Amino acid sequence: MSLWSFVLRRFGRGILTIWFAVTVTFLLLRLLPGDPALAVASPNMTDEAREALLTQYGLNQPLIVQYGLYLWQLVQGNLGVSFTQSIPVLDVLMQRLPWTLLLTGTALVFTVLVGVPLGVLAAARRGTGWDRLVQIVGVTGQSLFVPSVGVLLLFTFGLTLGWFPIGGAYTNGTYGGEWYLSVIQHLVLPATSLVLIQLGSYVLTMRSTLIDALGEDYTTLAHANGMPPRRVLWKHALRNALLPTTTLIGLQLGFLVGGAVLTETVFAYPGIGRGIFEAVTQLDFPVLQGAFLMLALTVVVINMLTDLVYGLLDPRVKTS
Amino acid sequence: MKKTTRIAAVAALAASALALSACAPSAPPEAGGGEATASSETLTIATTTDVVNYNPLIGNSRSDYWITNLMYPHLLSIADDGSKEAQVATKWGYVDETTGYYEIRDDLSWSDGEKLTAEDVAWTMNAVKQDQPSGTFYGQLANFESAEAVSDTRVEIQLTQPDSSIVEEIGFWGNVVPQHVFEKADSVANFPNDGSDGGWVSAGPYVLTDVQVGQSYSMDRVDDYPLIEGGTPSSAKVVYRVFPDINTEILALQSGEVDVIANALPPAQVKTLQNTPGIEVEESVGLGYAHMTYNMTKPDLAKVEVRQALAHAVDYDAIRKVVLQDQAVSTGSSPLMPVLADYYDKSIKEYKFDTDLSRELMEKAGYTADGSGMFPVSFRLIYSLQDSVTSQWATLVKDSAAKAGITIELQGTERNTYLAQTNAGDFDIYAGNFAIMDDPVTNMTLAYLPDGAINYSYVDDPELNELITTASATTDKDEKIKLMQEAAAIVNENVYDNIMYTQNLYFAHSDKWTGFVSKPSELLSIVNPISVASAHLK
Amino acid sequence: MSAMKGERMSSPTDSSTDTGAGPDAGTTAGVDPAETAAATDAATGQPADASENAERDRAAVASTGAEPVATESLRASAATWRAFRKEPLGLLALAVMAVLVFVAVAAPLLAPYPGSYGDTVLEGPTGAHWFGTDSLGRDVFGEVIWGTQQSLLVAVLASLIAIAVGTLVAVVGAYFRKLDGPISVLVDLMLSLPVLPLMILIAALVGPSTTTIILVVAAFSWPEVTRIVRSQALTVVGLPYVDAARLMTTSPAWIITKHIIPAVTPVIVVSVVVTASRAVLSAAGLAFLGLGDPNTWSWGRILYEAQQSGAMSSAWWLTLFPSLAILALVLSATLLSIAYNDARNPKSRRR
Repeated sequence: MSLWSFVLRRFGRGILTIWFAVTVTFLLLRLLPGDPALAVASPNMTDEAREALLTQYGLNQPLIVQYGLYLWQLVQGNLGVSFTQSIPVLDVLMQRLPWTLLLTGTALVFTVLVGVPLGVLAAARRGTGWDRLVQIVGVTGQSLFVPSVGVLLLFTFGLTLGWFPIGGAYTNGTYGGEWYLSVIQHLVLPATSLVLIQLGSYVLTMRSTLIDALGEDYTTLAHANGMPPRRVLWKHALRNALLPTTTLIGLQLGFLVGGAVLTETVFAYPGIGRGIFEAVTQLDFPVLQGAFLMLALTVVVINMLTDLVYGLLDPRVKTS
Repeated sequence: MKKTTRIAAVAALAASALALSACAPSAPPEAGGGEATASSETLTIATTTDVVNYNPLIGNSRSDYWITNLMYPHLLSIADDGSKEAQVATKWGYVDETTGYYEIRDDLSWSDGEKLTAEDVAWTMNAVKQDQPSGTFYGQLANFESAEAVSDTRVEIQLTQPDSSIVEEIGFWGNVVPQHVFEKADSVANFPNDGSDGGWVSAGPYVLTDVQVGQSYSMDRVDDYPLIEGGTPSSAKVVYRVFPDINTEILALQSGEVDVIANALPPAQVKTLQNTPGIEVEESVGLGYAHMTYNMTKPDLAKVEVRQALAHAVDYDAIRKVVLQDQAVSTGSSPLMPVLADYYDKSIKEYKFDTDLSRELMEKAGYTADGSGMFPVSFRLIYSLQDSVTSQWATLVKDSAAKAGITIELQGTERNTYLAQTNAGDFDIYAGNFAIMDDPVTNMTLAYLPDGAINYSYVDDPELNELITTASATTDKDEKIKLMQEAAAIVNENVYDNIMYTQNLYFAHSDKWTGFVSKPSELLSIVNPISVASAHLK
Repeated sequence: MSAMKGERMSSPTDSSTDTGAGPDAGTTAGVDPAETAAATDAATGQPADASENAERDRAAVASTGAEPVATESLRASAATWRAFRKEPLGLLALAVMAVLVFVAVAAPLLAPYPGSYGDTVLEGPTGAHWFGTDSLGRDVFGEVIWGTQQSLLVAVLASLIAIAVGTLVAVVGAYFRKLDGPISVLVDLMLSLPVLPLMILIAALVGPSTTTIILVVAAFSWPEVTRIVRSQALTVVGLPYVDAARLMTTSPAWIITKHIIPAVTPVIVVSVVVTASRAVLSAAGLAFLGLGDPNTWSWGRILYEAQQSGAMSSAWWLTLFPSLAILALVLSATLLSIAYNDARNPKSRRR
């Protein structure tokens, strides 16, 4: 298969994925109960005022017309205007997206930096106490309930020890280098809690892939060639075991972008997950549609990147 | 290993660097020397929600109200007993039955230098009437026809019919917005006022200068604010910070990161925080009430005995003692709460908690209990899950009703579902509350007249209708009070509404700060413009 | 080749029917929002597992010829159990699970149903109230005990529904090749949806109740089950004895139930545990956001009420005990599935 036809197929699949996500969101919002006009207005609004609002939102038209208009706008790059904030949806999303990327990106980097070596350690000494300890740490992390951990971290390191600030993404009124420092300080606790809960996936994936890889022929061959065991472990087996880890990164990043609602809530971090939750409580259809579109887009882009990295990493590709 | 990590790291770093540089604030130009009396301090206030809309004519959430209130003043303020006080308006009243007037101060100006005149006031009212924005303001304009600035300091409003409450209600609920900014929009109903067109303009003590959605709203002092003593707000800056979780909010107050929590404390936290060193708790009297209404379009609930049986099957004392930690006052099961001292009628007594009486009433209504003592009725009570106090007492109502042999099925839902159900009359019993019920005539018009927007019991009692309509056209205060008391007695006797308590509210702030001016209700509390402008370090 | 490989990694729908799911099974973890649901990663514990088993099963089948599957799987389970018994962590996890199930079933014997209010509010653990009292003076011990019942109910029902739907779809897809394409695409699309935000949306709009939570969690869990089971089923379908069976009978239902389902059972067992524990975290997460069932005690509801009353940091017992309960369930479920996988996998068994 040529590279171009591969790229085209991936692209087509990406478009399909986005269309699916957009359509599911559109239909859920309109077919499930919920009246955006009521969510916006004060309770003592008259019926005419309510009708006027619905007309303004375009919710009085037949479903199929609304859908057609929506897709047509989307193709033109128009995400619509927020019901409640009266500003373009893109602006609403872009206010929060950078913080989400920063938080999840940082968490991801540290998860990989910690998780991969731990997984290697466990695999290299499988069956020993080390192995069990690493497994327990990893699995415990992912069994934690985020808000409880969050409050504990905030109480301990924020209030009692006073090492880190409580809530927000930076300190108001700081500029330049001081501002960047405050950004880092605000990042530590929420990122730590995200690392804690994600760590297990990486540790366990790494561990079991390595256990398998260590048994595969070419590692055996390397042993026979007289390479020191440690080098075999780190170089060959590890390289092979990184493939699933890469996929894991791709998938988790995609979902973390929208899925960190609880972390963002407890740590008062201004991310997109919390934004989606608030849009749900306000029944702000355009913002929700835009947010889900953006999440789908993120997943598609990250999947493509993962494929790319995957191709680069696969040792079998190089030999062929 | 190194490679992936490196790629991931580079990607993440690149993305975040890009994102951050877009967000990084640039240092403001150094401000000139401050006033002698004013400090250079920043007052940091915590809130649980973001501002949804900066247009005060639209906004409906707490944070919207608090922040826009610091920029767009109201004509009138409110006292602890619900009576109105001067703010922008110094005098107000009626010229004749269908003409009202406001005399406004002449020393107010917008932060861009324009004077705040009667033109702004009249223009705001007319624009709201015409464009019908979804906020509370428009709801007050039912009998309003038009407003006119007859001089720079006098506005007169024309009414479609006599209405003795409207002048005060519009004055209290309506903001004044700058005509020269808002008139650029096609309609005030969808003008976002998000500062994208050269920033905000304020006639309050502070003006919004910087917004980081989900994190903070920074406001700078407006040096000239004649509504407080000294004429200059104390703190140089006010920063509202968003903490979606109240637990984090409390931790931030304890650690000194914020100075005030704007939202009312959960009842169970008041005592804890009163005993926490470094924290002071202020009280605000409540001006609203929590109530249950019985949907009289349902055949069972159309019977007065059934409604009485339900009303007597609620342990009001337990609700106030346990759920509200004794921070609520009984209203005597009357819409005229004790806090409205002029209107309060001591002779109306609270429904007594007596399940035997309830059973008698049910039998009188023609129901017979089965072997297990339960009557063959079941009522669905709706409430909003976002309202944590109501969620808590709903269970108590259910349990005590079960003792009287009446089954209540609880249906707590997300706020939007609840509003939709309320609007559609899709309930047997409705539980909810109102933050400010300052004017009995207005409230009864909305709550008990057949087409009232909050008539959730669907009551239509000719005698009651007559009393309310007469009172609405009556300007003589004593006469009005008498009519209202008669109406309240009818509501109480027939259980057209079951008003349970007025909750007093508590607000926490750091003990380093003082000078707060507490106003009734959570909307005003200690973050009303006067209070924020007067607060200062000890 | 690079392209093919890449494709297969992120989209299990590709037509590679050979040993199949190696990396795919490994990626199941990523599919859920790591926040509420990282527990799926138990399956991740054995990423190469499915292909591993497929090879092993093929080897087993090859050696036993077209022998009935039942005997073979019996023998395999005996071997698995022998290996499992040597896993202290696995046995401990099994014991914790047993205790939780006991608590759920015997709740009425262990504590009275929490009343609507009590005398002393926000009191720390005492002899009378082992886990303290909440902001309405109710007994937290009773709430946790009764919460176990609802939490386990959600876990079991949600995972059963997800497993039933997921397995059915996977097996049907694997058996009727014409359906496999569309099913794969659908599963792939479902997996790319943002799960937690959608759960929030649906729970908020439909109205929070135990049923809603079960259905919502199940609705977003089945595609993963399909993904894992499908790759396993595909290998089985390709094996000689299934072809032989096809010649002997015309009833696909008979082949599916007699041959394919037994072959994919081990994968399903792991899925059940993983989906169930994820359901607990998801349900608790939804409850914490105010979208739980307000009328039934669940661990999530205790935490939600603690949060609403602002007592999470000052009344530690309100947060600690339900969190521990969640931890115990998810942790033991995950360890159990890891131990089970290790026991089944001859490679990690060999030490």
